[in-house]
Amino acid sequence: MRTLYVEGRSVLHRMPPRAKLLGLATASIVLFATRSIPLLGMFCVASAAVYLLPRLAPREAFERLRPVLLTIVVVGLFTLLFDSAIEAAVFVLRLTSLMLLAAAVTATTGISAFMEEITRLAMPLERIGLVRAADIGLAVGLVIRFVPEVLARTQAIRDAHHARGLKPRMLTLAVPMIILTLGSADEIAAAIDARGLRGQN
Amino acid sequence: MLTRDLVLAALFTAIIVVLGLLPPITLGFIPVPITAQSLGVMTAGVVLGAKRGTIAVLLVLLLAAIGLPVLSGGRGGLGVFAAPTTGYLIGWVAAAFVTGLASEKLVRAQQSGLMQGIGFFVASLLGGVIVLYAFGVTYLALVTGLGFSKAFLGSVAFIPGDVLKAVIAALVGRAVMVGYPLLPQRA
Repeated sequence: MRTLYVEGRSVLHRMPPRAKLLGLATASIVLFATRSIPLLGMFCVASAAVYLLPRLAPREAFERLRPVLLTIVVVGLFTLLFDSAIEAAVFVLRLTSLMLLAAAVTATTGISAFMEEITRLAMPLERIGLVRAADIGLAVGLVIRFVPEVLARTQAIRDAHHARGLKPRMLTLAVPMIILTLGSADEIAAAIDARGLRGQN
Repeated sequence: MLTRDLVLAALFTAIIVVLGLLPPITLGFIPVPITAQSLGVMTAGVVLGAKRGTIAVLLVLLLAAIGLPVLSGGRGGLGVFAAPTTGYLIGWVAAAFVTGLASEKLVRAQQSGLMQGIGFFVASLLGGVIVLYAFGVTYLALVTGLGFSKAFLGSVAFIPGDVLKAVIAALVGRAVMVGYPLLPQRA
């Protein structure tokens, strides 16, 4: 899996992840506190400038935003049609700004920096006995390790369908994929416990 | 939590991610293309039960948030949480939980196959359609200022596809229960 992180040395890259996340949270509160269109417009332009700080290639920069931008535009048009132009403008400017800022944080924060921050944030939850902070990193690592495996299995099941002259359908694809994948859970769990990765149970 | 439950949740997350890589299906009688990823959310509840299913879905959202393109169509990053449809993503967590809880309550190992299938279908409909849309429509209504009825009107086209997914989830749940029963052993 390719991550959405972009190598670089911009101001945003050098900022600690916590500061970026707090900044994003503050921005979202500010954005939803105001309804003034000029203010939101300025905010949107400033967000676009922040998004361009890490210097992505223009094409790549646009491609990343396209799916979210598309839903914003569609819902914006819907609002324009069924509500007022002012409501639609407020909505589009708010969400576009937020999307740009969020995408900037994603492009400048690596997976490991994020995981460190999340593990630290989960510490209070560990103290009240809700989760073990270290389990979060372990689970994320497991998923990243097994996605290619599950994908290869799905491809094999699809090939098996073709070999029998069957058309692969959602149901006949999903059931063997789920049973095969979950069937290896015991082995993986035993391997994790044998290495003492989760400490004493 | 046992290591096995953690591993089961993580493996199911991988399944949900792979379901998002399958191309969306278009059916003649349904106006919008159907993605398999939300099928994965219902199936997580149906196969793993409330606790492990919820963890599996939370992990998908966590991976997306830290910048991995795990959502259908290769979407990922914090930006996806700034879309007008973010309510549906948040609703996934509640959907998996409710589907799982209802499956645990409704489906018993000694029931007939038909009853189990119906139980799973009702659970998927409850979690994956009713609870999911409650979250999605509420968020859409609040973020656009459209109000509930108009926001619901804008989402209605997706409901037939999701009901169809509930049928598939029920069939998958029943088949997995026969092939690799997990639900009886609660997390």
